[in-house]
Amino acid sequence: MHAFFALLKKIIRTGIGKGRFIMASLGLGIAMVLILIALQANSDFNQLLYSDKNQNETADFLVINKKVTNSMMGQPQKMVLSQEEIDNIRRQPFVQASGLITSSKFKVVAQAPGELHFATDMFFESVPDSFIDVKEDDWKWEPGNRVIPIILPNDFLNLYNFGFSLSQDLPQISQETVKALPLQIVISNGLISETYTGHIVGFSDRISSFLVPASFMDWANEKYGVAGTATTASRIVIKTADPSNPALVKFLNDNGYTTNQDKLKFSKTRVIVQTIVSVIGFFGLVLLFFALLVFSMFIQLIIASCKKEIQLLVTLGTAPKQLQRYLLKQFIPLYIVIGVVSLLIVVVLQYQAHVVLAKHDMAVSPLPAAWTFAGAAVVISLVYIVNLVTVRKYILQDQ
Amino acid sequence: MQIQLDQLLPVPLKDKILQRKSGIWNENIVFNPGSFVKIKAPSGTGKTTLVHYLYNIRNDYTGKVLVNGKPWSDYGRNEIALLRQQQLSVIFQDLRLFEQLTALENIELKRVMIPQPYCTPERVQEMAARLNVTHVLHQSSKTLSYGERQRIAIIRALVQPFEWLLMDEPFSHLDEENTRRAAALIAEECSARKAGFILTDLDDDQHFAYNVLYQL
Repeated sequence: MHAFFALLKKIIRTGIGKGRFIMASLGLGIAMVLILIALQANSDFNQLLYSDKNQNETADFLVINKKVTNSMMGQPQKMVLSQEEIDNIRRQPFVQASGLITSSKFKVVAQAPGELHFATDMFFESVPDSFIDVKEDDWKWEPGNRVIPIILPNDFLNLYNFGFSLSQDLPQISQETVKALPLQIVISNGLISETYTGHIVGFSDRISSFLVPASFMDWANEKYGVAGTATTASRIVIKTADPSNPALVKFLNDNGYTTNQDKLKFSKTRVIVQTIVSVIGFFGLVLLFFALLVFSMFIQLIIASCKKEIQLLVTLGTAPKQLQRYLLKQFIPLYIVIGVVSLLIVVVLQYQAHVVLAKHDMAVSPLPAAWTFAGAAVVISLVYIVNLVTVRKYILQDQ
Repeated sequence: MQIQLDQLLPVPLKDKILQRKSGIWNENIVFNPGSFVKIKAPSGTGKTTLVHYLYNIRNDYTGKVLVNGKPWSDYGRNEIALLRQQQLSVIFQDLRLFEQLTALENIELKRVMIPQPYCTPERVQEMAARLNVTHVLHQSSKTLSYGERQRIAIIRALVQPFEWLLMDEPFSHLDEENTRRAAALIAEECSARKAGFILTDLDDDQHFAYNVLYQL
């Protein structure tokens, strides 16, 4: 077949309109790079959002409560989430799990031990244990225990260390010290008052509250609870795969709920990035379309300009299949080269992105995603199919 | 391979043909494999048209040309190509060489069109020597005389396997000596393949031991 194709090369000249062909090849290359970049950017962004390496631990837990507005002030019942509202939140597709935050129905006073002379009124809340990110063995409480495990918000210690202690000339306290300090906790309801020892077992970024184990809360609310105090939850903690999900943000806004806005800020970035990526991808597709158009016109031109020769070849017994193979062989290797070069460009870009982002503590894979390779394969296949269809159509039409 | 004509009648020549007696047109004729067939025809009676019908490059006729019992119209393009590569060869009156190729390349094109060439390159050289065209093999076919081109077209038709060879005035531009040499070569190649041929010409001739004679 090689000798035959060598002779065909002298008969069917593919050199005409070479300028146009080179332009179209360039167009195909650019289109391919744009499409691959769009695919890769999408994959990188998903990686930044969801991959374990980039997950900061608060990312997938959100505490939701109603927005406090002026008209609500002084009417605590308006802050309460009704059962209907709780069910509605739980029904949302982005909510993987949810837990009500139970407040204490008793008064709590905490006192620091020894020389610190520090006492404060406070409160406790509890959430189901599965929402606790401090996995300490002593996060357990059983009736009869005098020691209550407590989790403090990280922010609380920061407020003390960098705000309060500096202004009051008090010593700063490390997490370890706080954990070692036995706090005196006085629980009362006006009638009875008992003293327990509070033991700080950890600090949480996830839920900004003073947390005690649910078992203690249930027991204590039963024992010290003041009738008539709030019995329903006003805060709910949800687990979500993607706090930047625009649907989640919309749900919160629509229902007048609020949460830590900081955790949602990715949502806007994401919309912007997705728009940019879509625009790049769209231009890539448009360019690809025109490149395909020019290729198919180029093939048409070659076949038209060799019409007589092709007719004689067929008369002499050349099979349309042979001609088709010959013509495709003239173009397909170039397309594969374009595909490989485009992929290489994307590999280099991705590696650079990996290096640059790593400096900002963001991890993306140093190699393009499988999707990107698949995308390149799809584009090449598309070009091949369009060429095949064009060649077939015009070779057959010509006789 | 059997070639059969079933009431074949060219549309453009219809009226003219129906006015007179023809041994081929509008008849039922079977060309038996391996036979040497001569069709004698005066100018303008559709000699070339017949060859083109038999080779299936024209189809403006009524009736049928049956190849192995099947009309040409039932064959697909790739099937036809296969027949032309393996079973049916042709020498056109207008020769139809590629002007952009040399004489040898024109022959080679046909030889290497099939994956397993029937002839060796040496055999091509031998045939060229027999027909006295060795010296022009590397010239562009554009520069050859008509007689030289005719001999190249003959060699081209003989480098492929075939069961039937169609020839349309194949010796029209050859002198007696060269005609004799070409006819001997063709007869030899046909016998070697146990193939038949259909030759059209204007006059009677003694170039071959014909089995069948027709008047168009």
